[in-house]
Amino acid sequence: MRNRLIALALGACIFLGLYGQAAAAGQKIIIYTSMKESLIGGIVDGFKKKNPGIAVDYQSAGAGKLMAKIAAERESGKILADIIWTSEVPDFYNMKKEGLLASYTSPVFKEVLNPFDDFDGHFTAARLGTLGIAINTKLVKTPPAQWADLFKPEYKGAFGVADPALSGTAYMSVALLEKQFGWGFFEKLRDNKARIGKGSGQVVDDTASGELSASLAVDYITNDKISKGAPLALIYPPELLLAPSPVAIFKSSSNLDAAKLFVDYLLSKEAQTLIAAEGTLSVRTDVQNKPEHKLPPAADALKRAIKIDYLQMMASKETLIKKFTDTLTK
Amino acid sequence: MNNTARKGGVGAAQIILGLSIAILVIVVAVPVLLIFVNAFWVDGALNVKDVIRIIREKDTYQALVNSLIIAAGTTTGSTIVGTFFAWLVTRTDLPYKRFMKAMFLVPFMLPSFIGALAWKMLLSPRAGFINRFWMGTLGFEEPLFNIYSYAGIVLVEIMYLFPFVFIQVCGALERMDPTLEESARISGAGLFTITRKITIPLALPSILSGALLIMLYSMAHFGTVAVLGIENGIFNIPTLIYQRIHQSAGSFASIRTGTVLASILVMAAALIIWLQGKALSRGRYQIIAGKSFRPMELKLRALRLPLLILCLVYIAFTIVLPTVVIFLVGGLKTYGLPFTWENLSLDNYKFILFDYQVTRDAIWNSLSLGLGAALITMFAGVMISYVIVKMKVRGKGVLEFLGMLPFSVPGSVIALGVILAWSGRYGPNLYNTVWIILVAYIARYMAFSLKANSAALEQVHDSLVEAARACGASMWQALKDIVLPLVRPGMLAAFFLIFLPSLRELTVSIMLYSPTTRTIGVAIYTLNEDGETVRSAALAGIALFLIITGQTLINRFAKGRSA
Repeated sequence: MRNRLIALALGACIFLGLYGQAAAAGQKIIIYTSMKESLIGGIVDGFKKKNPGIAVDYQSAGAGKLMAKIAAERESGKILADIIWTSEVPDFYNMKKEGLLASYTSPVFKEVLNPFDDFDGHFTAARLGTLGIAINTKLVKTPPAQWADLFKPEYKGAFGVADPALSGTAYMSVALLEKQFGWGFFEKLRDNKARIGKGSGQVVDDTASGELSASLAVDYITNDKISKGAPLALIYPPELLLAPSPVAIFKSSSNLDAAKLFVDYLLSKEAQTLIAAEGTLSVRTDVQNKPEHKLPPAADALKRAIKIDYLQMMASKETLIKKFTDTLTK
Repeated sequence: MNNTARKGGVGAAQIILGLSIAILVIVVAVPVLLIFVNAFWVDGALNVKDVIRIIREKDTYQALVNSLIIAAGTTTGSTIVGTFFAWLVTRTDLPYKRFMKAMFLVPFMLPSFIGALAWKMLLSPRAGFINRFWMGTLGFEEPLFNIYSYAGIVLVEIMYLFPFVFIQVCGALERMDPTLEESARISGAGLFTITRKITIPLALPSILSGALLIMLYSMAHFGTVAVLGIENGIFNIPTLIYQRIHQSAGSFASIRTGTVLASILVMAAALIIWLQGKALSRGRYQIIAGKSFRPMELKLRALRLPLLILCLVYIAFTIVLPTVVIFLVGGLKTYGLPFTWENLSLDNYKFILFDYQVTRDAIWNSLSLGLGAALITMFAGVMISYVIVKMKVRGKGVLEFLGMLPFSVPGSVIALGVILAWSGRYGPNLYNTVWIILVAYIARYMAFSLKANSAALEQVHDSLVEAARACGASMWQALKDIVLPLVRPGMLAAFFLIFLPSLRELTVSIMLYSPTTRTIGVAIYTLNEDGETVRSAALAGIALFLIITGQTLINRFAKGRSA
């Protein structure tokens, strides 16, 4: 008898526990972002300190997974998130086209750099992500100076790119490199036995361990590992890969004012300083990069960046990924 | 007697039967059916041409072939390894046999994808610790072994799946009547002839049944192939389904491909289950159970020491080494640093347990999902087994058929079926919530519960209930005071058989998780995919700790009970 009571009590606890998890709590904003814990955690803490009345919850996951979640939520009638902040720019054009995004031009907007020529308030760049070549400093003695150096025998079978199907930044960089150099670039990489890895962080860890000598790497992921002592360096060839990370507010948000406050905060000097401290580019010219990260200044980076037509990119995502995979594994 | 039972229980019996059928239909049959419907039925018409086109696509065809290669290799290897070790610990005078037997069962607890992670750290071609030692210290040009290969995947699977054969064959060899072998020996047969003509044929049904179980598992395994294969372009059916659905954020075309592949898995699994039934039914009359004779032990003589060393080395390499590597890497500041004191700390473990939302959520999700699934499945299992084993009502055949289903449906198929059934098209939309994982776990583990509970119920003789009824107890009283207490060990067994594996579940949850509903397995896998290698190793270490502690406690508890 007692056993059964215990079992029942346990059952009730679990039920309540699961229920509590499933039910969304009251007044707060929810952020979906592809930024890693190290970046988003500090920003949310700072925002909460400034706005003690607003509760904030965030989900950090790959851009693809978040878009799938949003698609599923739309099916069921309500998007749970108030704010989305990822690095897959075409997704934002898509969401704008489908009328999901609220238009909001932050009062801080005039203080920040804007990489979008067709800016109309539906989304605002809140970070300028850069991608370079991460090298293992124990294995690579003379760092590559340009992209074509990756065809050298030194990198045979030892250069890795994250899987663009999994990683938004990898997808952006593949598109940019294709735009700049054409498919010939990837064919030459294939001839040098370049490898497709998994997530954008894993290729960096594989480079640190020496499994790869070099990889296509996201700035702050690499800089985080360098600061922990990993034998890595991040190199930027002249043609710069720049992936802006836009932030946007969903039209369906029931806390529009709080969401707007968050966007303002994200663009403020305080939050942008946090972003720069993690080793990625701020959108503000009055925020300095840390010297140890060796990042180009944001305004220069924008000038050096490979330009691309996001609208066109949006249409060809699946074919691009397929062609990339086929080219590298042929 | 029959009449009185009728009078008191007609309504109740029908209700229980109906409820049992309803549970199995909703949880298992509908998802599986939806897979077949979606695969073969397009726009209201049967469409086989499309199915064949999908199978003939290069990627899909290759995944099918890979699943077969990996399953065949794993099954052959595990059968040889499992049978050999089983023979060693039951039929020879190998020293420390009890300890060995316990150690060979440890891989049962270790999730194979954690093993795969560890072996990746040890044997990745350029950076694996063993390969680096081989090339750096010993000066060889080529790496010793490349784990990112078919051979690597198969070897890792063998390491963690061979206990299925081992445990079956151990049981058969222990139960086998030694007089059969003795009479052969007295008639002048040599050891080789006895082994060939008596021991092997007698153990064959058990060997086969264990082998088929392994085939069923390895054909539909996600973890090992995902960790070791994807980077070299080696996909099997579950990893291809996962990648397709992930890539297209759940578009219909990818789900369609998934359903076609899943249908093939179900059919292959059904074939395997059928073969297994045949193997076992042939074997049943051959093994005479319950004799207390001890079988003759073969004297190993000069081979005793080498074989002892072989066993110890095997245990050290497959169990101790990977576990140690996981814990050590979990302690590193960042991956790629050497194991020196200044690089090692407990910071990752602390971060994961107390500060990191993702892993804290994952641990909580896995614990509550495991408890929830185990409790629900345990009670449902008792009820369904009771109907199948004990009750005489019309329509039981349907239930017996439905009860077979959970045994033959691989995890990745359940996941896909659950997506089809519960994403709003036919009722509530549970996609992206914990509930969909709970439903899938119940479907996946129902087989364990049915097995444990029907075994327990078969041992409760009808006469006990009849005696109670003759003394004037109502049917409900007889159930409560006689049957339930007697099957309680079976229920407990079912509970733990479900709770512990669900703590490390990956194949189902990887298809169903959303950012808030990661399980421990998913968190380990995605952290690794995201390049948080040290954190994923630390979480894997914590999971190993939880599972091994749980298992040890249960073993203690079970021993205390039976004593």
